[in-house]
Amino acid sequence: MSISTPGGPERRPTVVSTGKKPAAGRPAAADKPADGKAGAGKGTPRPSAGGKGRKPVAPVKVSQGRSWGPIALFVAVGVLAVGIIGVGAWAVYRGSQPWQKRADAIKGVVDYRKKDKELVTGGRHQPGPIKYDILPPVAGPHNDSWQNCMGDVYDAPIANEHAVHSLEHGTVWITYRPDLPADQVAKLKARVQGQEKMMLSPFEGLDKPISLQAWGFQLKVDNADDSRIDEFIKTLRVNASVEGPTALCDQGITATGTTPRDRGGSQMPEQPTQ
Amino acid sequence: MTAAVTTDTELDEVPAADDGGRGAMRRFGTLAVAAAVVVGLLLGYAGGLLTPTFTRPGNNSVEAGFARDMTTHHAQAVAMGLLAFQQGQDPEVRQIGADIATGQQGEIGTMQTWLRLWKLDPTGDQPPMAWMSDGAQSIKNGLMPGMATPEEMKKLRAATGREFDVLFLQLMIRHHLGGVHMIRGVLDEGHDKDVLAVAQIMKNTQQNDLANLQAALKRLGG
Repeated sequence: MSISTPGGPERRPTVVSTGKKPAAGRPAAADKPADGKAGAGKGTPRPSAGGKGRKPVAPVKVSQGRSWGPIALFVAVGVLAVGIIGVGAWAVYRGSQPWQKRADAIKGVVDYRKKDKELVTGGRHQPGPIKYDILPPVAGPHNDSWQNCMGDVYDAPIANEHAVHSLEHGTVWITYRPDLPADQVAKLKARVQGQEKMMLSPFEGLDKPISLQAWGFQLKVDNADDSRIDEFIKTLRVNASVEGPTALCDQGITATGTTPRDRGGSQMPEQPTQ
Repeated sequence: MTAAVTTDTELDEVPAADDGGRGAMRRFGTLAVAAAVVVGLLLGYAGGLLTPTFTRPGNNSVEAGFARDMTTHHAQAVAMGLLAFQQGQDPEVRQIGADIATGQQGEIGTMQTWLRLWKLDPTGDQPPMAWMSDGAQSIKNGLMPGMATPEEMKKLRAATGREFDVLFLQLMIRHHLGGVHMIRGVLDEGHDKDVLAVAQIMKNTQQNDLANLQAALKRLGG
């Protein structure tokens, strides 16, 4: 005791505390077990046992004031920081939800990219007629010429072998059953004409009035007012392309007819001038 | 500190407690500063990470509308330019065709890259040209200003010789005039500096092209 207090000896004797421990030069904290309350004061190093109703109150109060302010501040700042980071991370995550996930979320969409990885491998050119298991076709081998897909509206069926190549380039191909009422066809046409990477054609033998195709994806709907049509286009046009947004849609076959025009060899595709 | 604790007098106790508090405070202070630095860095990092999310053009912005629609508009110029390169008779027509096709295809790449960087789809929610204040009415049969109709494209594909050259020049002049109109739209209403800079370059190029296309058309007597 005396050692530690600067100028201790002189001031010393004013009041003597209860005297349990003063003798030993040991840390008060060590021999304080009796006093339950003292522990609360963050190791406040005083034997508060003695002074009834006297000063001891003051130091305790001070030390409490010291800790709560900053703690509250830090908790607040911490919560704020975590909140900002959390909200930001959530927004970034939601915004970056990949297109494929969004496409899968459209009710009724069939995702062949998941179902048949072999089928959706791109870049397989093959001349002549090709048999497709899924109709209208959504992917697979195709002729080296693509069907022109610059918002082309075809009034007669086109060759699958060219259309599949257009899908590979990022096109959404809308097909409809030939008996679809004219006003419904007009609504489909309005979504296609003038829009690059879009094309429209009738398709024989559809089990539903309208079927939409993108590379590896298909959606069949009953009428042209179905809002999923726009969702499908927005989510998959260009995004579903194997080759990215700069793949060409012009310079393709502009003629209708379901017979493919690439015969293989050195022959140029037979493209009637029209 | 422990030593100070041992004082048992009232007078001594107050300074002793003070002293201990100061020590704790010092320790707490160091910790607090460290924590503050860490929190500050995290906040700064998060802010830096998020700022582009808040400042980049949104889905219905003028910039996004321009990037999407100009891609479609350019795609037809590429189609016509490639035809001119293949079918043109006049050497200047073939040359200009190649220049326009490659130049505009490159710009399509730029615009599509913007959309990807802005985390936007190549296809928007709004009808074509909705981003320009008077844009919606300018659409005819789905065609943006200056674009050739399917019939005109069919005619161009079938044309040969001087007939092709003249038709190409006429269609491309109209196409470019429509293109310049759209570029003015983004220059007037857009905010993104990079987009404005690229749009200005597009405008310069198309205006130069226009002068040359018009001179060639005059030369060919079209």
